[in-house]
Amino acid sequence: MAAEISTAQPGQPGPDPSLRELFMGMQQVALSSFGGGLSAWSQRIVVEERQWLDNEAFITGLTVARLFPGPNQINMAVYIGSRFHGLRGALVALAGMLLLPFSVLMLLGLAYFELHMVMAVDRVLAGVITASAGMALSMGFKLAGGYGRDPVAVLLALGSFLAMSVFHVRLIPLVLIAGPLAMAWYWPRSR
Amino acid sequence: MSAVSHAAAQAALAGVHACTPAHLGDWRNLLAVIWDFLSLSLFSLGGGNTLLSEYHLLAVDKYCWLSSRQFADIYAIAEAAPGPSSMIVGLLGMAAAVKEGPLWGVISGLAAEVAILLPSTLVMVAASLSWSRLRDSPWRVAFERALGPITLGILFAVGLKILRISDHDTPAYAVSAVVCVLMLRTRISPLWFMAVAGLLGGLGLINR
Repeated sequence: MAAEISTAQPGQPGPDPSLRELFMGMQQVALSSFGGGLSAWSQRIVVEERQWLDNEAFITGLTVARLFPGPNQINMAVYIGSRFHGLRGALVALAGMLLLPFSVLMLLGLAYFELHMVMAVDRVLAGVITASAGMALSMGFKLAGGYGRDPVAVLLALGSFLAMSVFHVRLIPLVLIAGPLAMAWYWPRSR
Repeated sequence: MSAVSHAAAQAALAGVHACTPAHLGDWRNLLAVIWDFLSLSLFSLGGGNTLLSEYHLLAVDKYCWLSSRQFADIYAIAEAAPGPSSMIVGLLGMAAAVKEGPLWGVISGLAAEVAILLPSTLVMVAASLSWSRLRDSPWRVAFERALGPITLGILFAVGLKILRISDHDTPAYAVSAVVCVLMLRTRISPLWFMAVAGLLGGLGLINR
């Protein structure tokens, strides 16, 4: 996804958006990205068209959004909103980004729960889930490239995988135990 | 963990599937469900996908809102729908209450989505506002380097789990493997993969 983000234009930030403009802007991002490429669209709209942020601030936002817990795109909306209007801005930006997609999803969900006995729908879904399973499988491989040279990282990844898949350790205890140990190992040492 | 394994043990003893859907009309159940989502929020690493196994444990094994097969369907719907696929939580919430009527389904879906997003949003607001100080902190450096590989391992486990609940025969595994490779090697929109696989399913070439 990082490859979609252009770093060429520095861009000049304009005046701060109002709450209303934040809502509309995030809604425009959500609408434009039906079909994918959310971060590319959000950069085009937030940096190039509306000029709320310069490119550097936008890239910083992506970094923060990936680092902290929460879905990346949603965290990005929170970053943009909170930068201008604190918590209120964050909630307004979130609402703008989620209102339409969430409504569509609720309609799809209702259709599914009311219609799932229809044979044709069920057969199509039987195919679609194999594609989404392939997409789920690709998530790990996508991130794996960066860690090959660090044996401790490989060990951590393998250990977490086995703990979950083979020993059925739940997510929260796994992160609470492995996280601090790994943090102690990776604590930056000043010499 | 204990509640689930306890229920599973009971089911094994009784020789039946002992899981009965938790009734959300009882406020204690409702609070327990909301607490489950609130507490998971801060463990939503790797863009939220680390939570998928937990969602399956909660919705299928612990609360019995869905069958494993319905969970696979819902995951596919959330992936195919516009917007962040992490909104699958809204569909889980809906599954919990849709038997009481569509309105309750939507209210419950909204409540689940708010519960899963609220804690991570508050942390993200704090992080955004104090990033200039956080950026050079040793905590940030250690956190980023430590959680990366752990997230990676969890994502592999989650991917394998979704694969297991979705695919049950060789053609299904073959389609998943091809999609996985294409996701990594090309920039084709995932919507195409789902459309083609849906067509194969519709033609009866992929079965459950």
